[in-house]
Amino acid sequence: MDPILLIVVCVLAGGVLASLGVHLLPVGGAPAAMATATGVATGTVMLMLGAAMCGLFTAASVATYTSNILLVSLSGAVGSWLMMGVTMLLANLLYVFGAGVVPVSGRVDVDPITGQSQKEYKTPQCDGHGVPNVSYISGMIGALLGGFGGALMYFALLEYANFEPTMAGVAAMAIFVANAIIAAYNIGGTIEGFHDPKFKRLPKAILTCAIISLLSGVLVWVVANMGGLIG
Amino acid sequence: MTVGGGPVVEEEKTEGFSFPPDVTQLGIISAIIAIVIVIIPGLPAVVKAVGVIFALLWGMDSVRKTSKYGLGTGVPSIGVLATGYGVLGALVGIAFAGILNVSIVQPGVLIGVIAMAIVGLISGVLSNNEKIIGMKIPGLERGMMELGIAGTLAMLLQFSIVAGSLDFNLVVERAISNGVIAVMFVLSMMAMFHPYNACLGPDERRPRTLMVSIEISGLLFIILGIFVAATAVSTWGVAGVVDGISLIVFGLIVWIVFFVKFIKTAMREAHSTVGTGLIKTIE
Repeated sequence: MDPILLIVVCVLAGGVLASLGVHLLPVGGAPAAMATATGVATGTVMLMLGAAMCGLFTAASVATYTSNILLVSLSGAVGSWLMMGVTMLLANLLYVFGAGVVPVSGRVDVDPITGQSQKEYKTPQCDGHGVPNVSYISGMIGALLGGFGGALMYFALLEYANFEPTMAGVAAMAIFVANAIIAAYNIGGTIEGFHDPKFKRLPKAILTCAIISLLSGVLVWVVANMGGLIG
Repeated sequence: MTVGGGPVVEEEKTEGFSFPPDVTQLGIISAIIAIVIVIIPGLPAVVKAVGVIFALLWGMDSVRKTSKYGLGTGVPSIGVLATGYGVLGALVGIAFAGILNVSIVQPGVLIGVIAMAIVGLISGVLSNNEKIIGMKIPGLERGMMELGIAGTLAMLLQFSIVAGSLDFNLVVERAISNGVIAVMFVLSMMAMFHPYNACLGPDERRPRTLMVSIEISGLLFIILGIFVAATAVSTWGVAGVVDGISLIVFGLIVWIVFFVKFIKTAMREAHSTVGTGLIKTIE
């Protein structure tokens, strides 16, 4: 395949996966810092950036040993997976043992996965607490997809565009961040996971991110071409 | 996580430190100064640093303008977006640095700026369109375009400071592959999002917020100056030892002047400042 096609397809896939991943994370924002909303108490960008960075670290380490696209991308996915898993677990520990609340979803009455009742455990006037089971699983899926996308982008920049490793890492992060933020604007603050009503807005973010990633992919190819890295 | 709480009426107070140009004037002035400095990579680091201050100031002003309506994800997101676009645009810029050269002027780098202006405009239109994301923020299209341009100019100028040139291979070798780009990435986004993120509130005043951006630029120059002086290959040339040391001195002066000025302004404009002392222990 042509390098331009490979680069653009990988960057496009990475951007769309980033957007999808952001929609699956349990983002609590400021209300969660007071344990009055479900999710981890920080913004979408911080969570996804942290997860993507961890993914890029593992992907970059694996990329020094192998040039198998699947292996590098999956190692990136595992890196962000680990980061999100630890973050959500520790957030839950703080919520349960520090703030003294029960992890409970505020958007659904019954947990769609475990079938546990949620409504009775929710404090009145609050929008859920902590990271309940369904949000935890949703967040893990989101981190897996986001990390896979970020590492895929890194691999494309490293191997197909012949970027130097640091340059590939920073450029991949730049494109990833732009997509994650556009997706975050679509969510508009807090989301619990795939069971949240806001998840239905996903196609709009996918469309926007696809256009932005397409342009970014073309620009990456232009850089590689004009900088004399390919062809 | 809403910010600001609805449309804010622009109200300039006359007393205290004021910054004359309004948003549009500051944008035009900063863009012209930064563009003139960025296309001449042979200038001393301190002059380029002035360009960085103006580029980041413009970016910060755009962040303030767009995020006072409440983005829903916090102020930092749009600053990070600007730096993300900036890195990509700067890479495009240095890839085109070799063409269109007229003696010491390299207008080719501006292709990166134009590319990012287009990407920023498209993302702004898509984000603000009722049928797509529908953020309903007045002027978001212009804001995102300005952020793309400001971020790209700031990154290009920093590449130029550290590498002493905008040649693709030289920049990759001296400013990117050794990881200094990470410092630039983080401190540029800090200079754009931190001022408004820290100062926002009912009594936020534009001139006071702008001072914080210049102060963070000073910190950025201290770090870049240390880096330039430590990795310099010549003594007097561009990106040489003298350039690095003068950049450290410039950064220190900028940081101290604006830090003191900010604290004094904040003290003066506050209703009162009282010391609470240490937490009292109950016996």
